[in-house]
Amino acid sequence: MTMSEVADVLKADVLVKGDGIGKSVRHVMASDLMSDVLLVDEEDMLLLTSLASDQVLRTAQIVGAVGVVVVNGKPLPSSMVNVANDLRMTLATSRLSKYDACVAVHAALNRA
Amino acid sequence: MSTAPQTAAAKPDAEPADNEPLVLLELIQRLKVRDVMTGQLVTVPRNATMRQAQELMREKKISGVPVEENGRFFGLISIDDIIRALVAGTIEEACGEHMTTKLVVLEDDMPLSFALRYFDRYRYGRFPVLNRDQQLVGIICQRDINRALLVELTNVLNRLEGSAGPNIVQSGAHSIYVLREFPICKYDFENAGKAANQIKQVLQEKKFPPKIIRRIAVAAYELEINLCVHSDGGVLSWQVSNGRAEIVARDAGPGIEDVEWACRDGTSTANEWVRSLGFGAGMGLVNVKRVSDEFEITSRKGSGTTVRSVIYIGDMP
Repeated sequence: MTMSEVADVLKADVLVKGDGIGKSVRHVMASDLMSDVLLVDEEDMLLLTSLASDQVLRTAQIVGAVGVVVVNGKPLPSSMVNVANDLRMTLATSRLSKYDACVAVHAALNRA
Repeated sequence: MSTAPQTAAAKPDAEPADNEPLVLLELIQRLKVRDVMTGQLVTVPRNATMRQAQELMREKKISGVPVEENGRFFGLISIDDIIRALVAGTIEEACGEHMTTKLVVLEDDMPLSFALRYFDRYRYGRFPVLNRDQQLVGIICQRDINRALLVELTNVLNRLEGSAGPNIVQSGAHSIYVLREFPICKYDFENAGKAANQIKQVLQEKKFPPKIIRRIAVAAYELEINLCVHSDGGVLSWQVSNGRAEIVARDAGPGIEDVEWACRDGTSTANEWVRSLGFGAGMGLVNVKRVSDEFEITSRKGSGTTVRSVIYIGDMP
């Protein structure tokens, strides 16, 4: 299932279509602690977070994530869109809670 | 009226324009408010009269005077306050009754870029400067900034005349890539991570193996965030040569009392603000060690810390 399809499942607004938009999502991590994200060695990971900051995108670029979905419908600072464009990182925002987003992605990936 | 000074700790909102001079941008990130402020303060106690404050301001040729007792900051008397007191006939009354208390203050270890943005945002003539213990340690005005930047720019120009060089050097059969050093400022979350992002982009362009890129990027990012969160500011340097990538984070303080403790899983001295930004879980050094083939840290309380991470990359691409 591609990052684009996952965004559909999460009813997410895709604000920036980065290099990973057409890539397959192989792993999902849901966390607001970037220190934990940096510990994960999985490739092609989707990051679900309720943290709306530039560092989320910088962390995602470091670990090679296919995209970032900010959950809970959190308003994003305008700098996030600029940083996502600079890093060519897919950035989306969903109104689902983190728990509901995890459930929805899990079900969708199992079906795929 | 609020009596609590509001610390200017919010995230700066404006991205620097692409065409701003890089040297100047680095300077305003590297210089701290404490490097620029006037530290020898002229102050008045709360029970001084407004007239005494007015005479002090005239005598010292200053446009504002802090109200302070034993390091504790209470407010500020400005020319506006003096004019109001003259009009209202309260010029013989105590400063404590008529001082401005709704104030924005700066902290002494903030980058100068914060101060510049706050001058732009609030249009005040000066900002009081507090230290970590909330004691008044100085005052900063635009003139202080102009003077400090002129002095620093002259120093930088003198240095550049003798040492200008490219960011990337390639030599011989084995390519050697040397990136310039990245100055990292305390609490500068606007820019934290940029150096590591750039390092990763360069490695991807040079087609290094993805697993190696990830390890180098993680080490650089963790060390960069550490400099931003824990040090008073420092330098992240990076180079690849002879089959090794070496990342070094060097700062001038405050130093680590117990290095062994700091390298343990989950131990951190980060404050709540840093944690709210997703960092400070005490995993940084542990993670750097995890991805490194060689790891070394030297530190002493009261002086600087140097962390060195080496990752073997095998044959150069």
